[in-house]
Amino acid sequence: MADNKKKSNALASNPIVKAIGGQRLIVICVIIALFAFFCIKSPAFRQYSTILSILDYSYYISFMAIGVTLALITGGNDLSIGTGMVCYALVGGFFVTKLGMPVAVGMLIVVIMGAIMGVLNGILVAILNLPPFIATLSTMMIARGLGSLLTGGLSITWPQASTADGWFRNIFKITVGDTKLPLGFLWVLILIFVMTIFLNKTKPGRYIIAIGSNKEATRLSGVNVVKWHMLAYIICGIFTGLAGIAYAATFQAIAPGTGAGLELDAIAGAIIGGTSMTGGSGSIVGTLLGVFVMSMLKTGLPFIGLQANWQQIITGLVLIAAVFIDVIRTRKR
Amino acid sequence: MGEVILTMKGIDKSFPGVHALDHVDLEIRKGEVLALMGENGAGKSTLMKVLTGIYKKDEGTITYEGKEVEFENPRAAQAAGVVIVHQELNMMSHLTVAQNIFIGREIMKGKLIDDAKMNEEAKKLFQKLNIDINPTEKMGNLTVGKQQMCEIAKAISHDAKVIIFDEPSAALTEAEIEELFKIIRDLRDKGMGIVYISHRMDEIKVITDRVTVMRDGTYVGTLITKDSTKDDIINMMVGRVIYEDPKTKSNVAPDAPVVLKVEHLNAGKMVRDVSFELHKGEILGFSGLMGAGRTETARALFGADKKDSGDIYINGKKVEINSPEDAVKNGIGYLSEDRKRYGCVVGKTVAENTTMASLENFMSGLFINKKKEEESAWKYVDALKTKTPTVDTEVVNLSGGNQQKVVIAKWLVRDCEILIFDEPTRGIDVGAKSEIYTLMNELVAQGKSIIMISSEMTEVLRMSDRIIVMCEGRKTGEIDIAEATQENIMHMATQRN
Amino acid sequence: MKKKLLSALLCVAMVASLVVGCGGSTEEAAPAEEATTEEAATEEAAPAAEGGYHFEIVSKGFQHAFWQAVYKGAEQKAAELGDTMNFVGPNSESDIADQVQMLNNAINAQPDAIGLAALDVNAALDAITAAQSAGIAIIGFDSGVPGAPEGSVLANAATDNYAAGQLAAEETYKLIGEKVEAGGVRIGVLSQDATGESLISRGTGFIDKMAELAAAAGKTVGVVGNDYFVNAFAGENAGDGAEVIIEVLVPSQVTAELSAIDAQTLLNKEDTICIYGSNSHSAEALVTADSNIGKLGDTVVGVGFDSGIAIMDAIRAGKLAGAITQAPVAMGEAVIELLHAVASGETVSDVDTGCQWYTAENIDDPEIAQNLYE
Repeated sequence: MADNKKKSNALASNPIVKAIGGQRLIVICVIIALFAFFCIKSPAFRQYSTILSILDYSYYISFMAIGVTLALITGGNDLSIGTGMVCYALVGGFFVTKLGMPVAVGMLIVVIMGAIMGVLNGILVAILNLPPFIATLSTMMIARGLGSLLTGGLSITWPQASTADGWFRNIFKITVGDTKLPLGFLWVLILIFVMTIFLNKTKPGRYIIAIGSNKEATRLSGVNVVKWHMLAYIICGIFTGLAGIAYAATFQAIAPGTGAGLELDAIAGAIIGGTSMTGGSGSIVGTLLGVFVMSMLKTGLPFIGLQANWQQIITGLVLIAAVFIDVIRTRKR
Repeated sequence: MGEVILTMKGIDKSFPGVHALDHVDLEIRKGEVLALMGENGAGKSTLMKVLTGIYKKDEGTITYEGKEVEFENPRAAQAAGVVIVHQELNMMSHLTVAQNIFIGREIMKGKLIDDAKMNEEAKKLFQKLNIDINPTEKMGNLTVGKQQMCEIAKAISHDAKVIIFDEPSAALTEAEIEELFKIIRDLRDKGMGIVYISHRMDEIKVITDRVTVMRDGTYVGTLITKDSTKDDIINMMVGRVIYEDPKTKSNVAPDAPVVLKVEHLNAGKMVRDVSFELHKGEILGFSGLMGAGRTETARALFGADKKDSGDIYINGKKVEINSPEDAVKNGIGYLSEDRKRYGCVVGKTVAENTTMASLENFMSGLFINKKKEEESAWKYVDALKTKTPTVDTEVVNLSGGNQQKVVIAKWLVRDCEILIFDEPTRGIDVGAKSEIYTLMNELVAQGKSIIMISSEMTEVLRMSDRIIVMCEGRKTGEIDIAEATQENIMHMATQRN
Repeated sequence: MKKKLLSALLCVAMVASLVVGCGGSTEEAAPAEEATTEEAATEEAAPAAEGGYHFEIVSKGFQHAFWQAVYKGAEQKAAELGDTMNFVGPNSESDIADQVQMLNNAINAQPDAIGLAALDVNAALDAITAAQSAGIAIIGFDSGVPGAPEGSVLANAATDNYAAGQLAAEETYKLIGEKVEAGGVRIGVLSQDATGESLISRGTGFIDKMAELAAAAGKTVGVVGNDYFVNAFAGENAGDGAEVIIEVLVPSQVTAELSAIDAQTLLNKEDTICIYGSNSHSAEALVTADSNIGKLGDTVVGVGFDSGIAIMDAIRAGKLAGAITQAPVAMGEAVIELLHAVASGETVSDVDTGCQWYTAENIDDPEIAQNLYE
């Protein structure tokens, strides 16, 4: 009898069906539909350079979104990632351009600062039990002030692509012959793969999901919930650091005091991708798809001549639709 | 015997894949308490949901006060005088008692809420029920028992003629249950028709006049309470005979080694200088009234709550237990009284819950070996006869008894030598209950040791080899099963300082 | 117990944030201290020197090198005249409320006069009125304080942004004139926002002049895109069907990404011959967007504003044809001169601190280089 059960179970647990899943299939369709729509409506849109730009501007949001997905899965949040990313990129750039350190050291500093902020968030949330919203709202403000403070309020320009130190920009976009290749997308895919494995196949990943579903039950199972809860925020911080590098590599100058609001793009991406705001479930692949919906809208809408404010309204509506699908889906069970 | 106020006849209801109610009959009379009994999943709740308009029936008729009715929704049922007091309290703890009672139908003075008037009305209600609750108190400050009284007050404030109590006693202390019964009798004497749903056989005997039994969505029969025995009712419920005889002598060898020794354990107000020993292969019962500090003792022992002082020895060796992690490392497993909150991760699958405490045994290098995990989960699903379609099923979809089995499996996989069962059969139906008992007996036969906290006297007397009684955070007695009686346990359980 | 712990923590957090906050203001106040010491030194050297006034100066922040230069000019001039100043500014140019708070603080400090570069004049109106009733004179700089109540702002030391925009259009027209005369072309304008007076003037100055030049060449002109700029255009607007279309884009939010996307939409249009970014943010976004397209310096003429490494590099590399630079040092000096004059009771009038067009050829001329900052 048990054998029978196992067989009927085999189809439902088909890895391909499972990996894509309901909401994600919808999101993929939305991306394709949007892309097709913009291509038809705007000749200027359907160019290789547009795809390149969509990818360019998606790296840093993707990294932040991967990180914040972990925080969301624990049932928390991380609002510090937007200003944090700018802060780390500023400080790293400050060390490179003003103090003459090698670019590689600057990049390392960016990631380390992200990790430190992750530890701080982890302490506040996992050890001191502050509500994640409040804790990371506070660190968001701290990051914002810190960036201006440490760089003396100056905007920072990482080495330009044309200079010798500009090599780090090639990490994300490399020119082969006459074609520019979006190398960064490869890194994003690799990290998505690694993090999906991490979340679904490793012990820390399993515990992070369990904490989001029921922290107390997980603790009473003898799991060191403080450690794993902190880890989620530290990983989030490290990914924010990676986002900082991507941001510095993509844009010309980084202005202190900016970055507020970018975390919401990342969080929205994760939510559209099917991560639950109440924790306990989420998928990294879904997050990437969600980010692409956002990027597609941001890039595409100006091409069809919509004014800036309409772009935001439409993005808001898409977010409502995504969350609504999630609500319906959970209600059905 | 009063006249019939409400009749349900031939009620039929199907959900996709489930025939939940199969032509069920029910008769509620004025001035009478009717027990509605049946195992979990027998269809009691579904029947009541059909009655109060939460579900639409497929077939059958409901006759209320001589007229055929079909309530559109619970609001319509309330308006007609058919109300339900839910098992889970639907209270807003930050609002006052009066605000809770009148939620959704606030008494207004022009455009503003008239709190004074509502307090006055609530006061009148409480006077009618003969209970002493301040209407301006915040709901969250009341004990569970008092909250339940408020729920009742809210129900009768609708001018109720039929009141349904859905397992009202689950969270109440003995004294509170007494008070509840007083109110129920009072309501009955005023001519209301009362339906009382409960698993507790003792209560059924005390409070009800008739018993209607359901099984697997069908109507089995109705008995007059005073003319029938417990066994009669149980037989009707499960369709088989279960003996609930107390154990007469300990199954533990006198020279069985001590596996756990707790000395002078202190934790807050609820655990005061508790010392005891647990022998290999023993079921040590912890008896006492609600709030006696038994769960708190277990949680402090398990490291779930901070302890102030006290030493713990396992197999004669002193151990430091400051977190559940430490406890698990030392081979202690804890099955919480509140499964949904503390026992299992309900949003996760059976397999994931089963391996939660021992994931390191299911790793292939850095990665979890899903195949091994599922095999192990299946092994315990089969061994414990857990009713679940697959091990990939989320635990939230299982019944209480099966959820409990998943939690037991979790600790068995971990191979814990000492298991703490906190109210192992709370909210579990009779059939599953006896399975859990069998399981516990098998575990001690295999040499495991069990601490069992239970508020059901019959359970304590039936399962324990030795009994420790607590009252107000202190250990007030220790007694071998051979000498234990309901009376002497009760005596110790009320031995206040 | 738990609650107590929580409130204790909250207190710690508040104190901590206060410390951080104070850290910020100390940093901002530091220049003032410096100025004080220098002033003391000056006084010692020349005790008879006039001055000794104290000024509060509220700028738009320090993110852009431009403001550092203004600060430098002001600091030098104050030392020279024997005055002291407290030079502050918000973290970013979107922190309008912070700036208003700083202005209120400045008024409370009761200085001899206040220098102000308002981010949003309407938001600052109350504070400006308060200053007026407290009898503290205000001198505007950079974008100034247009629309302030009469008598509250006595004079402005500012780049004439409208004239600067016109200069940009004239210089650009020299490069694209031929194509404009052929017709069927699009000229892009990128503006970071449509609220700050300086950006509005730079935009409208450019648009008006460009339209005038195109009309002189006998072409119909259409201004499209952002509503504010379209409505601000006083000339005859032939809209989308015009022979010369000037398209103005403003992002919904000031982020590098959204501005770059705007730049990209313009770059991708076949008929675009020129794009003008009206401050360093927009010009940098233009350069970012072009990194994937490569039309700048080839089929599209890029024109920037202000300086900074990215913009100067792009000019040297031929990506941008040129840019307008203001004279921030001169502006800083002019502010202090005006403040000093007001405090001494003299009558004052507006000072145009000027602007220059620079290209790859003259970028290293000393006359230009002194106003360029990395």
